[in-house]
Amino acid sequence: MSKPDLTLHQEVHALYLDHYGWLQGWIRRKLGNAFDANDMAQDVFMRLLLRKQPVQAHQPRAFLSTIAHGFVVEHWRRRELELAWQETLASWPAPEVPPPESRLIFLEILIEIDRMLDALKPAVRSAFLMAQLDGLTCPQIAERIGVSLATVERYIAKALRHCYTLRFEP
Amino acid sequence: MSTPKHSACAADIQSQDHNLDVPSPAALPDDIVDAAITWSIKLDYNEANADIKRRFEHWLQANPMHAIAWERIHSLRHSFSGTSASSALVISTMEHADQLRHQSLLKRRKTIQLLSLANLAIGTGWLVRAQLPWQRLTADTSTGIGEQRTLQLADGTELILNTDTAIRTDLSGENRIILLLRGEIMVKTGADMQHAEKRPFLVYTSFGKMQALGTRFTVRLASQGALISVQEHAVALYPAQSQASYVVKVNESRWLRENGTEPANLHGMDAGSWAHGVISGNNIRLADLLAELARYRMGHISCAPEIADLRVSGLFHIKDTDKTLQFLADTQPIRLSFRTRLWVSVGPAHTNSDALL
Repeated sequence: MSKPDLTLHQEVHALYLDHYGWLQGWIRRKLGNAFDANDMAQDVFMRLLLRKQPVQAHQPRAFLSTIAHGFVVEHWRRRELELAWQETLASWPAPEVPPPESRLIFLEILIEIDRMLDALKPAVRSAFLMAQLDGLTCPQIAERIGVSLATVERYIAKALRHCYTLRFEP
Repeated sequence: MSTPKHSACAADIQSQDHNLDVPSPAALPDDIVDAAITWSIKLDYNEANADIKRRFEHWLQANPMHAIAWERIHSLRHSFSGTSASSALVISTMEHADQLRHQSLLKRRKTIQLLSLANLAIGTGWLVRAQLPWQRLTADTSTGIGEQRTLQLADGTELILNTDTAIRTDLSGENRIILLLRGEIMVKTGADMQHAEKRPFLVYTSFGKMQALGTRFTVRLASQGALISVQEHAVALYPAQSQASYVVKVNESRWLRENGTEPANLHGMDAGSWAHGVISGNNIRLADLLAELARYRMGHISCAPEIADLRVSGLFHIKDTDKTLQFLADTQPIRLSFRTRLWVSVGPAHTNSDALL
């Protein structure tokens, strides 16, 4: 173990001892659920251990709660997506419902899509998904959603720019 | 598709704070990225003819950065592949998620509105007592002086409002919420049967909030804090301006203040006996008992210092305070003088009470 790692470990260990209980309580108040709060508090400290630089937080609790806040938002987003997924599946025609064994991976892909395309307008997102998942060309999409070819190409360009920024210019 | 070597080198000089799988190389000029996107739309998202392909090759060779930009944009063509499902199911799910998120956003906004209203109502402190009509107007439920009311909430909770109390309730969200605007309530939390998971039950005051941990308890607002007494199980207190939470256990009473919590002295009186129509207790200072009785009657009760420290025990009815005062006068060395119907002075029996007035 290299020296910086040791420092980080010691630092996170000290944070853990001093603030784990508090953080757990903080998250529990946000989630209203002790079970998920325990998991999430663990995740926050795991995230810290993955850092390449020491924490050196002057206000440890503000620092920890900022990280935890991101987890909480992510948690609710995921819950809402899972609910949407279950309810949509329930209303879907039986022959087109994916078999149970592929549903879990489907959900993972949905979460990835949701994270990548959240900032896009629904029309842009839908056009891009038709291109990505069904392999449709711009003229085919234009026909399917009833807008001009130029509009679809603008949608796809917007989505590509967005994904490029997320993936390559974080 | 592999990342070009020179961009991977560029990653080393970037901030190391990003823990991403993909290295974050130096940014490419916007116009080159845009040009690559335009080519991708022609080649990857349309049927390209030979002429377009030839012009694309020409562009690709013109500048090393064109090749990097192209490689990145082209790699996006296969994002989200790995599922055989049609886009229709994904698009429907995303649209449904949009709806759900919009609804919960509205719900959160409503809660925030509700809470800021509550802060406005009691944040100004004791003076607000002078503004009762306005508070009654904005509250869901209220009682007048000397009145009590029992409510059965949709989640099975029983809520008893003591004298001169105003509350709001919101049971529509992820939490069951009671705002205590004025006065005192007794809560017997319900099973919340309609919900698969029992939702947290919270009472908000301007001094902070509390969460019921399966329970029966009373909350009483005063000018400097909220007094919580627990009759069954426990209640967790969260001061508004402090992280010092505290769990109040059964038969315990505690002040919830803006900046913390502290043990409360009930001066010999039992918490929550009002729900049975009485003040009960042992060795209560007469001045304290009279102050407590005054909450249940219009007007004012004054207490002479000579008799303030007399001690009384037992049950004192609050439904008819005139009778209770008369009972005290019959059993204690005190005398009642009514200046007006609303103003009663309590003094020693032996002295000329007229001289006190």
